[in-house]
This record gives sequence, C-alpha cells and structure tokens, in this order.
Amino acid sequence: MKKTTLKKAEPYVWILPSIILMVGMIVVPVITVFQMSMSEISRAGVIKGYNNFENFRAIFKSATFWHTLQNTFVWTVVVVGLSTVLGFIIAMVLNQKFHGRKFVRAIVVFPWATSLIIQATIWKYIIDSQFGSLNVILKKLGIISQNINWTPSAAAYFAWECWIGIFVTIPFVTFCVLSGLQSIDDTYYEAAEIDGAGFWKKLTSITLPLLRPSLTVSTVLNIIYVFNSFPIIWTITKGDPADKTHTLATYIYKLSFFNGKAGQAAAVSVVGFVILCICAGIYMVLSLRAEKEEDK
Amino acid sequence: MKKILAMLLVLTMILSLGAISAFAADEVTLDVIISEYGSYTREWWDGVFIPKFEEANPDIKLNLEVVSWNDLDAVVNTRISTGQQPDILNFNAFADFVADDLLMPAEEYASEELQAKFFPDFWTANTMDGTIWALPILASARGLYYNKDILEAAGVEVPTTWAEVKDACAKIKEYDPNIIPWSLDISNDEGQAAFSYYTWNNGGGFIDADGNWALNSTENVEAMTFMKELIDAGYVWPEYATATRYPQQDAFAAGSVAMIIGPNNLYDIAADVNFGVASIPANEGKDPVNMGVCDLLVAFADEDAEEGRTEAISKFFDFFYDTDLYSEYMVYEGFLPVTADSAALLAENAEQFKKGGPDGGEGNSEYFANFNEVLASCEFYPTYKVEWSDVMVAVTAAEQQIAEGADIQETLDAAQAEIVG
Repeated sequence: MKKTTLKKAEPYVWILPSIILMVGMIVVPVITVFQMSMSEISRAGVIKGYNNFENFRAIFKSATFWHTLQNTFVWTVVVVGLSTVLGFIIAMVLNQKFHGRKFVRAIVVFPWATSLIIQATIWKYIIDSQFGSLNVILKKLGIISQNINWTPSAAAYFAWECWIGIFVTIPFVTFCVLSGLQSIDDTYYEAAEIDGAGFWKKLTSITLPLLRPSLTVSTVLNIIYVFNSFPIIWTITKGDPADKTHTLATYIYKLSFFNGKAGQAAAVSVVGFVILCICAGIYMVLSLRAEKEEDK
Repeated sequence: MKKILAMLLVLTMILSLGAISAFAADEVTLDVIISEYGSYTREWWDGVFIPKFEEANPDIKLNLEVVSWNDLDAVVNTRISTGQQPDILNFNAFADFVADDLLMPAEEYASEELQAKFFPDFWTANTMDGTIWALPILASARGLYYNKDILEAAGVEVPTTWAEVKDACAKIKEYDPNIIPWSLDISNDEGQAAFSYYTWNNGGGFIDADGNWALNSTENVEAMTFMKELIDAGYVWPEYATATRYPQQDAFAAGSVAMIIGPNNLYDIAADVNFGVASIPANEGKDPVNMGVCDLLVAFADEDAEEGRTEAISKFFDFFYDTDLYSEYMVYEGFLPVTADSAALLAENAEQFKKGGPDGGEGNSEYFANFNEVLASCEFYPTYKVEWSDVMVAVTAAEQQIAEGADIQETLDAAQAEIVG
C-alpha cells in the first residue's frame, strides 16, 4: 500500500520544482495584473484600492487604445505574413545546390543572431535623415543632392518598423522551412517529374503539404513573438509621433512608466492576454482536430 | 576531542553573529539614487564623493546608485510600488510623492545652516501647502545658441522675434539646404521644454496669473501655431517627435544645425563651432523669457527606519552642499549652483576645479558669472503643483498631435480637460 502511494506520488515530486517555478513566474504575475487592472494606482506607484472597472472604461474610451489595437493587428499580420512568404522563398533557394551555399546560409542567420535592440538601433541610424547611412550612400552615388526625410509621418515610421520586423523574422522562418524541406525525400519529386509535374504542381502537391507541420510551428511561434514584440518599436519611435505607432506591448509600457497610469496599463495587459488566449485556443482546437484526423 | 572542537566552533559562530549585530546597530545605511547628468556622473560619485563621505562619517554607509534619466521614472516607480523607495532621490518632480504621503518635510533634515545657503527663491520653490518638500540640487539656464558662421554666411542677424526667426530660417535654408535652421525636440524626453520656449515667449504658459492650469489659453494656441508653421516650412529637425535634444545638440556642435535652444552645458559641448548665446526669441511686443530648470533632492519618509536615519540624511546633505565639494561637482558637470556661497566662489575662481572626463579642462569663472545672472531672470516649471507630471505628458502629446496635423485649439482644450477634469 505504502509503496504504491509513493510510486504514484513520485512523478509529481519530480515535476514539483517546475510547477513551483511556473506558479511563481507565470500564475502569480497574471493574478497580480488582473488585480492591478481593477485597482486605482497613484502615479508614484501606490495601490489605493479597487476601483471596479474604471481602468477598462478609461482605455475603451481612449482613441489611442483602439488605434493601438488596430496597429497590433496590422503589425502581427504583416510581419508574420510577409516574413513567412519571404522566408519560404529564401528557404527554397537555399535548398538548391550551388557554390557558396553554406556561406549564404550563415549570412541569413545574422539578423536572427543579433539582438533585436542592436538591429533596431542600426536601422534607426540607417534611415536617420541627418546621419543616416542610406542618405549618405545615396548622396555619394549622386542619386540625391539633399537629405531625404524617410519618416515624414507616423505611417511611414510604422511601415519602416514593420519592415524591420520582417527583416529580423525571416531567418527563423527560413530555417524552420529549410529543415522541413531537407526532410522531404527526393524520390517524391523524381516520381512526380516522371509523371510530368511542373514546378507549381510539385510545390502545391508535394512541398506545401509536407511542409505544413514546420510552417504551422513557425507561424504560431511567430504570432506569439511578434504580437508581444517590444524592442523594435520602442527603439525606433517609442510609439510616437502622437502615440500612433504603438502596439499593445509598447503602449502598456508607456502607459505604466511614462504616463504614470499603471492601472490602465494593467487593463491593456489583460486585453492582450485575452486576445492571445483566444489565439492559443484556436490553435489548440485546430491541432487537436488535425490529430484526430490523423488517428482516423 | 571532536565534540569539544565542534562546540567551540558553534560558540565562536554565535559570538561572532552577536558581534556583527552589535556592530550593525551603530551603522546606518542610506539608499541613494542619483540621476546621471553626464557621461562621468558615476565617476564623481563613486570616485570622489563616496570615499570622502564615508571617511568623514564612518558610521554611515552609502548604497548609492547612479541611474540614467531614460530609466529613472521606471526605476523610481518600481521601487515605490514594491515598497523599496530609496532614502534619498535625485529627481525632477516631487508633488506626486507628497500627494501619496511619501516624503519627509525638508525642514526635518536640512539644518538651519544649510537652509541659509540656498538662494531664497530656490529654497522656497518646492513648497506645497506651506511646507517645503525638496532641496534644489542644481540648475541650468536655457538660451538660444546660434552658429555665428552660418548666420553670417546666410546674411542674417541673430533673431529676437518670431518673425525674425522665420526670416532667418528661410535664408539659411536658401543658403544651404543641408543645414537645419532650427532645432525642435517635442519627443517624450522633454516636450514640456519646447512648450515653455514658445508659450512663455508669447505671454502664455502652463498656469495663469492665479496659478490655475491654463494649457489652452489664446497665447498658447498662438505659440503652437508658430511652432507648427516652423515644422510645415521644413525649418526644423525632421525627426522632431522621436529624436531627443541630445543628437540635435551634437549636430549643432558639428555645425549642421544653425540655431538651437539649449542648456548652459551646451557651452562646452559646442566648443568646436563659432557660436553665440542670446535670449530665446519672443513674439512681437512680448518680453523674452529664458527658461531655467532646477532639479531636486527628496528624502522619503520611513516609519520603520533604524535609529539615526534622519541624522544620517542631514549629514549627507551637509556634506554634499559643502562649498568646495559642491562647487567641484558643479564644475565637473557644468551645471549652475543653487547655493549662494558656491555661486560666489565659482564666479570668482572656478579655475581651481576640473570638468568631468579624461581631458576635462579647468572651470571658467566667466561662464559661471554670466549664467548665474541669466539664471536669476529665468522662469521655472510649476513643479510644486500636484498635476505637474501629468501636465508634462499632456503637453508633449498635444504638441505631437498638433505636429501631425490636429486642430490646435481642440487639442489644447482636450489637454486642459484631461488635467482639470
């Protein structure tokens, strides 16, 4: 009797440390954020007690919040979408046999291996109208005679930020797809060629279906990373001009640490949490359904 | 034998623990946060102040941290919300802390001798509800810095009015389109400063004559209209909403910006260009107003504090404002003193002290004499009002919205409504 109880308890004992860690690092902060989102918090950071849903009411009334939500959607879709398409194309190219393939593969990893802050700072200096290398190069080449302001509006800033997001995300997609491509047996293509299949036919009937698992993993992980991404936007614009280039992550930080509204920041966090939960839920339902189909 | 040894060991440990706690009871540790004023701030505090202070006060230990202005808000906020506020903080606002009952009144720790050292206006500037809550640490005076060579080459005089500013900018742009005629920073870093430069010089500002918030006054609308005209004409730094004044100051020092409103330490930064300093231009018929900035030191209240904490804080401040040491720090950072004795000493003999940095030269008495005078005529931010921190955020946001094309009157009305409710 005693032995079986011990045996039953053993696995739980082994996973106890990770459970404690997860509770401490994930569950407690999540509960704290929910509490904060319903509390009045002074600018200095003192919690003054519950104020019902006043923080939520304030953010739902704010035009900046809705604009930020829209930006977050655009940012996630554009960055994940385009980086997946471009990463896929680059992976297809890198899967061909050519001289210097290893060297090119190494170069593709560079943007991924560098920290996001460094990447973003470098891009900030590339597009700067005064000291930016883009203007300097164009001037030296004689293409322009005066400095060009590459960021004349909030939309232009945001477009650049999306491009930087895409640029740093491509390597991840490329390598996920590349590993998938390498696992596809050449005999499929050979058989298809004998049957007279062209490039598109092979792509849609062999490559894409067999790449589905790697593409799903890279897309889901990217959605989570990109949705929560902070460094690029914070380094380039801090959400400005006029709070028009925020995504939820930078908006939360600004509300809390610049505007002194920690309660509202927590409320925005809760909204972000709910959105990600819905995304994760959809993903789980889809992957469970896929598993069931496979079992059939 | 082993048992005896073990018992001896335990006994020694217990005794030494007792000794440590007895020793610790006599020692007070002060947690201090100092803001980073320049590249060498940390070196002065770690290399000069702390060793000298701890030698003179062996019973006080300093746990001093130098924090950049970029991170200061977040650090202070996190420390307070987790109940770990420092004993002494170097900051630019204090009213929120008073509203949350976090501070000690300055008279509790500033000795009478120290109080008498401050220029009276600086000493009483941090008053709320009749109590003084903070000590001034240092000041800076802002003025219009202009590149003499560029202005001369473009054939313009130093502008004193807004019309002259526009005229000068147009001519400079015509002379060399790659030179930026006018610097503008309405970024989150210091948007409130730009708001002051234009509104104060049109008879407006943050508050009205009765001391009430007046962000949407007619004068302010006119001032923001002027700022917008400069932006639309392409006279200003193109990344005005995201670039702080620091890269713009560097560009001025490199000769690619013609005019910039900046603090007195720009004097050293721009040493390589041929520049002059003038009053900030005002609208026609209005008196020019220069801007002063004065940062603060506050001491947080701590009900569970160890004995001797307040006394240690007093000693810290007495030591810091010592005429020679404080003067040395002012020369080191290039800021202006807020105590009368140091101001007098520096106006007479600043050469005995060294500026910060590996090749920092000696101080310049003329610089201190001139700027002390400018400082006396400066206007300062209404930091004593509890909404001040919110106002800084609101006016910066308003400026950026106006720059993006929002209606000026409506934007300022909204900012006013946000503050007053």
